[in-house]
Amino acid sequence: MPVLRGFLWLLGFLLLGDALVTLTGLPVSAGVAGMLLLTLWLVLRGSVNADIAAAARPLINVLAMLIMPGVVGVFFILDSLSGQWAAILGALVGGTLLSVFTTLWLMRRLIVGEEPGRE
Amino acid sequence: MSELLDHLLATPLLAIALTLAAYFAGARLFRLVGAPSWCPPILVAALLLAGVLALTGIDYADYREGAGWLMLLLGPATVALGLPLYQQMAHIRDLWRPLLVCLPIASAMAALYAVAIAWLLGASPEVMASLAPKSVTAPIAIGITEQLGGSVALMMGGLLLTGVAAIGFVDLVARGLGIRDQRLLGLALGINGHALGTVRAFEIGPTAGAFASLGMSLTGILTALLLPLAWRLPGLAG
Repeated sequence: MPVLRGFLWLLGFLLLGDALVTLTGLPVSAGVAGMLLLTLWLVLRGSVNADIAAAARPLINVLAMLIMPGVVGVFFILDSLSGQWAAILGALVGGTLLSVFTTLWLMRRLIVGEEPGRE
Repeated sequence: MSELLDHLLATPLLAIALTLAAYFAGARLFRLVGAPSWCPPILVAALLLAGVLALTGIDYADYREGAGWLMLLLGPATVALGLPLYQQMAHIRDLWRPLLVCLPIASAMAALYAVAIAWLLGASPEVMASLAPKSVTAPIAIGITEQLGGSVALMMGGLLLTGVAAIGFVDLVARGLGIRDQRLLGLALGINGHALGTVRAFEIGPTAGAFASLGMSLTGILTALLLPLAWRLPGLAG
């Protein structure tokens, strides 16, 4: 039952993350705290625990399905957003164009110099 | 008929079955129309599901209550992202210096541009809180939006649109700037286009894909750590 053992590991890190966030009042979600704790633990351990991999891979593969109930919600709030469409679309499309440009421009300056010509 | 529906909705089973069915049907329909790269398969599935809910007259709030059991798995799934992050450690060590400078700026800009434009165009604080985490991968973005007081549904819609826009713009801007380095393309796709951009990067090549996962994870973490703090600053709170 490697999948279930791995799932228990993930739940353990999630609960640990939740406890940490609750006790310290950090403005991070329990999942992110758990993810960082898991990464830290793997770095300290120096290798991937097979049980964790068995549970993590299928969960990551169905991430899109897990967020679907939230995605569907957008079709049911369209009415309440009338009057803000220009702001929403402008922010999403314009903001993305600007940030893509900033990222590529900045990274070309910082990274290309290190190892030129590698494809 | 509606009594039967009420009875079936008394447990989360119907909502979970509908979600799974729409997920698989959406994936199938997506392949049938030739898997267009600008359209995320999840959008097809979500449209199908919304159509079924509208046709059967199931209230979204009822559906959401049942499907919440499925979304409970998002917590452990977010923790699971620590595994690919650990597997990217070699890349992080190789490039830690440019990444240290670049990532905080790039991920801050991804949020700042969107909030600034929304603010200029007169969006409400709730809308701005929903748009701020638009470049962050969904499981992390849900947590951020809830903390900022935004709408998760609007954030999800914004996430989808951002992913699609980022894929198109990275292609366009990279051609304009003459960039063909897979590491740069991958990072730009992951930082700006979260999971959708990462899928696109794997189509470009394995190097681009690895760097996109790296960009996506680090942007997610940085935004999750810094955005809620920045939001507390006066002026931004609206």
